[in-house]
Amino acid sequence: MILEFFKMGGYGFYIWLSYAFAALSLIFLYYRSVKKLNSVKEIEYTYQSEKAENLSISAQVNRF
Amino acid sequence: MFGIFKPRTFFNLANTSLFWLKIILVFALITGLILALFFSPIDYLQKDTVRIMYVHVPSSWISLFIFLIIGISSFISLIFKLKVFSVYAKSLAPIGLVFSLISVVTGSLWGYPTWGTFWSWDGRLTSMFVLVLTYILYVSLWSFIKNYNSAEKITNIIGILGLINIPIIKFSVAWWNTLHQPASITLTAAPTIHSSMLAPLLIMFFSFCILSLIIFLIRYKYEIINFRVNKK
Repeated sequence: MILEFFKMGGYGFYIWLSYAFAALSLIFLYYRSVKKLNSVKEIEYTYQSEKAENLSISAQVNRF
Repeated sequence: MFGIFKPRTFFNLANTSLFWLKIILVFALITGLILALFFSPIDYLQKDTVRIMYVHVPSSWISLFIFLIIGISSFISLIFKLKVFSVYAKSLAPIGLVFSLISVVTGSLWGYPTWGTFWSWDGRLTSMFVLVLTYILYVSLWSFIKNYNSAEKITNIIGILGLINIPIIKFSVAWWNTLHQPASITLTAAPTIHSSMLAPLLIMFFSFCILSLIIFLIRYKYEIINFRVNKK
């Protein structure tokens, strides 16, 4: 019965290939988008940290 | 007038809604796939190959709809000089490209067992192929042109010109003799498809819409942060 389901009346190759292509393309697009977002988030986080550090140094300098 | 399109509004939307959108996507996609693969009946003529429709048709609808938004955004960006609209278009383009590719590839895989050929240069298939090429051109131009303003101007023009192809795709099956069947679902008439097939089709379409929205919000966040980082 399971084999019959995968055979899809003899058209299994075309049907499963269609679903697999769609799934892989969408998964690729999703992970690529997440990866790109994480990469710029890291850059911005580093920039914000540096900015905060510079501010605290200049505040210390001003105190003196 | 364009206040609701402010980057902050979308940024907040992205932060608050992504989690719930993912939950909705999982439920909708599982329901859609179960109905499409297990419960929907086979077609009397196309047999089991009709199950490809549940991936092919929603992908085609979304790729067309996304290009329509890209075209309108490009027009607004060019006329009103509102940068945020070109960011929307830029964020949407890769999603539209992937869905148009899925539409063409699954259409070919559906075509072989039903028409006896993977491809035919008829009205619908050729105009869809032009859409894929337009998406590739649009995405490539954003990647290759380093000056943001130049890239924005050229892609806006491509986006507006590409709009011409949308009605051609839509009406190609009515204007010319094509291998492709006429639309079974239109906005103006009752669907000619049985409810047992219509339900999984609409659920799969809904799932793909949610997935597109999730990816759009992620890519939009990326574009805004990237824009800020490059500006510094």
